[in-house]
Amino acid sequence: MRILRLIAACLLCTALVTPSYAQTASSNSPEYLIKAGFTYNFAKLIQWPNSAFPQPNSPIVIGILGVDPFGGTLDEVLAGKTVNGRDLVVKHLKWGAPDLKECRILFVSNSEISRLDEIFHLVKGLPVLTIGETPTFARRGGIINFVLEDEKVHFEVNVDAAKEADINISSRLLSLARIIPHTPDGSKAQ
Amino acid sequence: MATAMIAIFATTSLCAQSGPSASDVTNMSVEDLMNMQVTSVSKRSQRIADAAAAVFAITQEDIRRSGARNIPEVLRMVPGLEVARIDENKWAIGSRGFNGRFDDKLLVLIDGRSVYTPLFSGVYWDVEDVPLEDIDRIEVIRGPGATLWGANAVDGVINIITKPAQATQGGMVKAEGGTEQRTADTVSYGDKISDKGFYRVYGKYFDWQSGTNLANQNASDGWHQARGGFRSDWTLSSANALTVQGDVYYSRDGETLTLPTLAAPYSSTFPNTGFYSGGNLLSRWTHSSASSSFSLQAYFDRTNYSDNSLFVDHESVYDIDFQHDFHVGQRHEIVWGAGYRSIQDKNVSSPTVAVTPSQAQYNQFSLFVQDEISFFDKRLRVTVGSKLEHNDFTGFEVEPNIRFLGNISKAQSVWGAISRAVRTPALTEEGLRLNEAVIPAGMPPINSPLPVIAAVYGSSDFKSEDLLAYEVGYRVQVNSSFSADIAAFYNNYTNLRTAEPGMPFVEGSPTPTDLVLPYVAQNKMSGGTYGIEPYFDWKPLPMWKLFGSYSFLRMQIHKNSDSLDNTADLPNGENPEHQGFVRSSLELPKHIEQYLSVRYVSPLPSLNVRGYAALDGGVHWKPMHNLELSFDGENWINNRHIEFVPDFINTIPTVVGRSFHGGITWTYGER
Repeated sequence: MRILRLIAACLLCTALVTPSYAQTASSNSPEYLIKAGFTYNFAKLIQWPNSAFPQPNSPIVIGILGVDPFGGTLDEVLAGKTVNGRDLVVKHLKWGAPDLKECRILFVSNSEISRLDEIFHLVKGLPVLTIGETPTFARRGGIINFVLEDEKVHFEVNVDAAKEADINISSRLLSLARIIPHTPDGSKAQ
Repeated sequence: MATAMIAIFATTSLCAQSGPSASDVTNMSVEDLMNMQVTSVSKRSQRIADAAAAVFAITQEDIRRSGARNIPEVLRMVPGLEVARIDENKWAIGSRGFNGRFDDKLLVLIDGRSVYTPLFSGVYWDVEDVPLEDIDRIEVIRGPGATLWGANAVDGVINIITKPAQATQGGMVKAEGGTEQRTADTVSYGDKISDKGFYRVYGKYFDWQSGTNLANQNASDGWHQARGGFRSDWTLSSANALTVQGDVYYSRDGETLTLPTLAAPYSSTFPNTGFYSGGNLLSRWTHSSASSSFSLQAYFDRTNYSDNSLFVDHESVYDIDFQHDFHVGQRHEIVWGAGYRSIQDKNVSSPTVAVTPSQAQYNQFSLFVQDEISFFDKRLRVTVGSKLEHNDFTGFEVEPNIRFLGNISKAQSVWGAISRAVRTPALTEEGLRLNEAVIPAGMPPINSPLPVIAAVYGSSDFKSEDLLAYEVGYRVQVNSSFSADIAAFYNNYTNLRTAEPGMPFVEGSPTPTDLVLPYVAQNKMSGGTYGIEPYFDWKPLPMWKLFGSYSFLRMQIHKNSDSLDNTADLPNGENPEHQGFVRSSLELPKHIEQYLSVRYVSPLPSLNVRGYAALDGGVHWKPMHNLELSFDGENWINNRHIEFVPDFINTIPTVVGRSFHGGITWTYGER
């Protein structure tokens, strides 16, 4: 009994002082909590082609490619959530991972900025909703890009890229988005 | 549910509907998320895991995965809440004791509008309804919330929050039919007005057939109701939002009523009908910038109640509220607000019930301020604040609280609170006369030559009831599929209402007809209540969800030594000591959902209500994405039981037996 109490006390102390508690600055950040909320809403408000899922109850795999800026928030927010009867599964991926193409949503971290074109090439024609937070992400072929304005999260949508991926974005979502023309070189040409 | 975010103690219900302070980010619409300040999320809304109070949220998904036909049935899913049906249109709903049809210690708000009636301090549960499909979430706080919500948020606060109009674009038609509720039909339609504005309108009608009482006689408690309403949400600019909403309703409620009579057999039991109608209009403007936000809300609410056997009452409430939130430095998050409410009451007495004056206006003013201070990188948060209110009956009331929340680790938190709350007098407690019973002439020990009317009286001496509450809680998220929550409380009440015998007097002129034995409202009862409320949320398999809850309550309320109240009226045995339920919901292939819930409520010894268990369950099938078929049953095991016996007004309780209902829902657009 005494031993148990001692162990409990030690565990409590460790929990309080170990760095595992002191997370990276962004992991508890409201910005990524909001972005996680957006991601969940996107999963609800977009429609993938039937071919995107082998089974009626196949999960929706959400990949985070590169360094995870959510710091675990996305996993936490989506834990136990389902969309149309499908579970949401978060995977942390590195460039070159074979299951990249199985993701139905692929969040591309800023750490992958140098190989954006390669990534877009890899998932070209596949029903993968690419989400980024790099200024030119949507122009270069990503489908949705988060932008911060006035301390608020807005998002851009590249409709052509969505069409190419056979992904149908609800009109409600589009009405709130900034529609971005596809200019592969990332320029702002109209 | 455990990860849901809830707008609590950092915001009042005022803001709870406006973007930034909404619930869990997964419960928020895209529009709401776009309105959230990335720097101020924690100020306006908190995760349940971060709330220093016993909070619980029912989501739209929970409502959809239940067979609930109205808000009281939805509230059966809240851990620790006592929900008892008296007859088909009357409920006793309470938190942490003192339950009754006229439970006066639970505050209820719908989209920021208080539906706690100042007439008798309670809620007309029969007419507080919205289409269940349009509810975003219901936030329930067990324990006092008076610092933010003010008087009467003594033992709990229920916030019913509907979806913004943006989230209900398109149409919905729902038709239900069943054994108890013969029909319930809802039509709801939402559209865009412009780039900046959205609206939704709805209409709803239902009709219930009469049930039976314990003697298997017709209870004459059938009822029907029609209501309609709208909500519109406007984004005026990136920083300003406006909501305008309103409802109108009409309801005809049956019951079997027993009233005392002066002639033998001294009481009469008969089918009685009450008519309710009313409406409300609310508008709310919210402004948010990077460093602060404020909201201004005003509403009008009218309730007409007409029952020729009992009472006719017209009540108008005008309310205006302002709230402002801002940061001071890195540590302080301050919220303050002010409000004014005017209540106009006009009533017509019956031989049984009278309230004086028959026409009057009452005013209430309030002011509150609260500061949440963070320490150790937000691992410890301390909240201090107080409300100051003024009402016409008892003058100034102060309702302070202090709360703390400690995050032991990312997955565990502890909280505690000490708070004071008051329950201010209702109009009835000031000016009521209610004939409760007639004692025949010559009956010992009174041996009066005239029949004796035992009558309950209000009194201008009646003061507020006081609570000092001590609460602690612990939450843990063991892993992604299991979380648990436990709250414990000790409540110390003083100045609770008693009925003190007054000076008997003879009535009737010129010939005396009866002797009146008055029982006058005074504040001579006190005592403690304590309890513990654990619950868990477990997902054993991806498609299987289990939720279990247990609550224990013990009440040790006693009349003070100077009380002469010799009525048997003590709340101790009128509330279940043990309550628990387990709900299972299963997602089956082919878009079929199945749920099952087992509930147990222990006996109410003072009311001669036996303990009961009930099994509810149903199957919902979506053959197409815009079509849902449902079949639900309540009390499958059919143990015919009564759940409560009402106080003051002797409505004969109706048996709750087995009932079924089936429904079809068709939607189109973004629903």
